[in-house]
Amino acid sequence: MNASDRALQEAAEWFALLRSGEASEADRSRWRAWLAASSENQAVWSRVEHLSSRLEPITSSPDRHLAVDAFTVARTRVLQRRRLLLGLAGLAGGGLLGWGTWKHSALPGLTLTWLASHRSGTGEIRQVALADGTQVWLASASAFDQDYQPGLRRLQLVAGEILVSTASDEREFVVDTPQGRLRALGTRFAVRLSDTGTSVAVYEGAVEVTTASRGETTVLQAGQQSRFTDRVTETPAAADPAREAWSRGILITRDTPLGEVAAELNRYRRGHISVATEIAQLPVFGSYPITDADRTLAMLETVMPIRVRRPLPWWLVIEAPPPAP
Amino acid sequence: MNRPEYASPPSLERLYTDHHNWLQSWLRRRLGNACDAADLAQDAFVRLLATPKRFDTLPQARVYLRTMANGLCIDLWRRREVEQAWLQTLAALPEVESPCVEHQAIVLQALQELDSMLGNLPTRVASAFVMAVGCEMSDREVAEKLGVSTRMVRKYVARAMLHCLQLDARSALDDAETFTQPASPDAVSAPLVR
Repeated sequence: MNASDRALQEAAEWFALLRSGEASEADRSRWRAWLAASSENQAVWSRVEHLSSRLEPITSSPDRHLAVDAFTVARTRVLQRRRLLLGLAGLAGGGLLGWGTWKHSALPGLTLTWLASHRSGTGEIRQVALADGTQVWLASASAFDQDYQPGLRRLQLVAGEILVSTASDEREFVVDTPQGRLRALGTRFAVRLSDTGTSVAVYEGAVEVTTASRGETTVLQAGQQSRFTDRVTETPAAADPAREAWSRGILITRDTPLGEVAAELNRYRRGHISVATEIAQLPVFGSYPITDADRTLAMLETVMPIRVRRPLPWWLVIEAPPPAP
Repeated sequence: MNRPEYASPPSLERLYTDHHNWLQSWLRRRLGNACDAADLAQDAFVRLLATPKRFDTLPQARVYLRTMANGLCIDLWRRREVEQAWLQTLAALPEVESPCVEHQAIVLQALQELDSMLGNLPTRVASAFVMAVGCEMSDREVAEKLGVSTRMVRKYVARAMLHCLQLDARSALDDAETFTQPASPDAVSAPLVR
């Protein structure tokens, strides 16, 4: 066993002990000593935290016990199927003998509803090609429903942010949000939902905004962005072309306040990132991997007067470094 | 067109032209479904785009693509198996207690991801891990549910976590290899455009 394998194994054992509910104070201090012993241990432990955070959607679900039951049923079936296959033909080629049977016993209604909507997980950026050739990129934790009718191509933004690049078609193309409707008069624009309204940035062509309750319309041209509520649309401002770089997994900053950078990283990560107020206005420059907050912050730590602390596995605190002794 | 030897390492466009139709019909035969076949064929090329491979001959490319597509079929089948189990669980609930569709989808996605992460670990090990970590049950509760000792539960959790960590380390290594792949002679003479 090489050193690296040992670190992985030790980390797994520490994890199992610490979460068992039976760890004593002595265990915890031994764990802290283990963690402090090498940078490799720390690196491996950060992977443990990352992996366990991926179960967060289940952990935070009120139906988590049902989810676990379903999981066990599925695993058992997969195993039975594999045994059956081995018995019949061997697994060479991974034959899918049960496939046809499965398809007929599925529940088509619900499955279809799910297939109709598109969603991305936290930390995931997904590109979807729709039937008419329209491309949609989903930012982290985003979702939209697709509703294409004979005379209208309609998307309903349910959560988060999408970047749309429409394909030409005789039918109109619209995106609906709770605050209003966006009619695409051109090709490329981003729509983002927040608590306070809908933001739109137009990169190519133009978009007509119609607010939901007053029916006011405003046309945004390429290079403009704006925010609207169900009543009013703010005066358009210049759209920052760097903003759409998220669709390629890049966060581009140019004199961007640290607080805003942290908020953006937070969208791509389960957990919480907080910034001490005295450093929230520090300017950030450069391009960073938007889905990798840990790496981005490590990069920032080397060039900025900041320090990143982890009080809890999912909680990152960005603060000013302690004064030199 | 179908020369067995590639004179120089083929571009992705070239690979797509040479193999896409073939791969899609291979998948259609395997899956018995044209839509899924089209999706997976596309998926295979997207992966090739993300992790470029160098092929010297046409058969070599096909063997690689077929192996990858086969893995994608199995993934798809497993994802559907989890989906079906989850839908059946939900269908058994009285309507008022059903979580909203959006929420159902989030949980489903997490379960599918977990299933693929835990790979072929024994059901008991995988379930212990999901109960302990996903449901935050204590070792004692998990032990009761599975009919094993708490000592065993801790072993299962450690084993599942080790499995995930190894997978994680391996994929990090694969990524590193992608970036350090030796450049082809063509790439050396042409300046890199960033």
